[in-house]
Amino acid sequence: MRPKQTTPEQTTLRLRGHSFAPERLLVMAIVNRTPDSFFDAGRTWDEPAAMERVHQVIADGADIVDIGGVPAAPGQQVDVTEEIRRTAPFIAAVRGAYPDVAISVDTWRHEVAAQACAAGADLINDSWGGQDAKLPAVIAEYGAGLVCAHVGAQQPRTRPFRVSYSDVVADVLEETQRLATRAVEAGVDPAGIVIDAAHDFGKNTWHSLEVTRRLGEMTGSGWPVLVSVSRKDFIGETLDLPLQDRLAGTLAATSVCAWLGGRIFRAHDVAQTRQVLDMVAAIKGDKPPARTVRGLV
Amino acid sequence: MIIAAALCPSPPLLMPGLTGAASVLPELRRACEQAVTELVAADPDVVAVVGPGEQTMIWDAAARLDLAAFAPGIGVAVLPMGDALPTGGHLRAPDGTEPTAVHPGSGLPVSLGIGAWLLDQAGHAGELLLQSVASHESAERCARLGADLATAAIRTGLLVLADGSACRNPKAPGYFDERSAGFDAEVERTVRAGDLGALLDIDAELAGDLMATGRPAWQVLAGALTGERLTTEIRYCDDPFGVAYLVASLRVEPLTAPPAKG
Repeated sequence: MRPKQTTPEQTTLRLRGHSFAPERLLVMAIVNRTPDSFFDAGRTWDEPAAMERVHQVIADGADIVDIGGVPAAPGQQVDVTEEIRRTAPFIAAVRGAYPDVAISVDTWRHEVAAQACAAGADLINDSWGGQDAKLPAVIAEYGAGLVCAHVGAQQPRTRPFRVSYSDVVADVLEETQRLATRAVEAGVDPAGIVIDAAHDFGKNTWHSLEVTRRLGEMTGSGWPVLVSVSRKDFIGETLDLPLQDRLAGTLAATSVCAWLGGRIFRAHDVAQTRQVLDMVAAIKGDKPPARTVRGLV
Repeated sequence: MIIAAALCPSPPLLMPGLTGAASVLPELRRACEQAVTELVAADPDVVAVVGPGEQTMIWDAAARLDLAAFAPGIGVAVLPMGDALPTGGHLRAPDGTEPTAVHPGSGLPVSLGIGAWLLDQAGHAGELLLQSVASHESAERCARLGADLATAAIRTGLLVLADGSACRNPKAPGYFDERSAGFDAEVERTVRAGDLGALLDIDAELAGDLMATGRPAWQVLAGALTGERLTTEIRYCDDPFGVAYLVASLRVEPLTAPPAKG
């Protein structure tokens, strides 16, 4: 018998011209066009280095490339013009080089989203949770997809300060559903809407562990779930490890979230994440093992 | 009488889907398909499939291999014959074929399951006799069983599933046994020469030591074709995973005109 599924029926994800079947677990590779993002610290600030990373992550099995021009942490101001300058031409270059790869832009601003979509972006990763009310209409105009993230009461580029929830998962479900409904009402393709608990955003480590533990409640909503845990502080605090030592913790969280039905995994370490997802997919019975002869010869 | 025979090995990896996304040993599967296609093309009234099993017995001709016994989770549910299998997931083999439905409660030995599957693939729609032969049977008993099978119909085709030693190298299922190469070479020589009587001389204890599970089935083959003049074609002879696989077509040379189709 087919193994019991841990998730309800999921539907095909559609990001402009790109379609992804329900059982396919997707890797969203992080490519930062910033001089100061938390993990890569400017390694792909220069365009040639950024393009080199794109080549690498696609070779490593990325399905989506997520391009960001503003770090999540507080710091140097990046205005709309500068954010567009950092992202849009690069998106156009990636689109030209890889017509079949889905491109995401990590922004909360509708002006940036418009330029990104014009340059070829397929998905807006609104990781600050719907701060810009004009964003959904722009996405609808281009037929792109939207990530609806939960950040609690936080403003962009701020850190959580003494946050509390009576039930963080209930809050995540309510807020992501509200953002998804708002997007659909603005004309965004429902097949392109993804929800994200946004680990660490508006959450302390306990909250992020809880949303990981209860990710099945999110996947149970029927919306595809984006999992963004790579190298984050909740992993560092849980294991008491600095950034460079958080890969094992990241992959453990990735594995649990994949088992609980997460669909898209935003990652710095693409090859390792791909392996974890392929392994979990085989354990779930959604993907055949690559080659099996042990005991069958 | 036996009008034609085919000899194939029976590793589970021949079954579609069991090797995962990869196609493993397509040349072995092709050789088996060719041997069985030739057998079916001879237009037998009955095809007798013979292979090793725990007991010597005749199985329900509708029984098929339970793939889930080898690959739980592969998605093959126990279905009444003829019902469509669910599609999607990874139920399809890399070549696009669907796995075979399982006859309820079959428990069919893998050797017969693979033989029946090969015949299904070759489009055999005629009568089928699924005969397992136990490893404790003597050469004499096996030969008598073969002689009986030869009389199953006026025109009987014989498909024998038999594997050589599983001790060909240190990575083999049974590790390395230096006697294995000579053992398998002698079986190959015997089949290649059409000198099947020599198969009755195989030492059952040595065969057991070498995990050569095909011993009783080879001896059934020898008993079924006693006295016949044969030409044989070896289609595959190798040990890619440390197990000796031999695929052959055995053509019976008619002494006079072949019996008309009954």
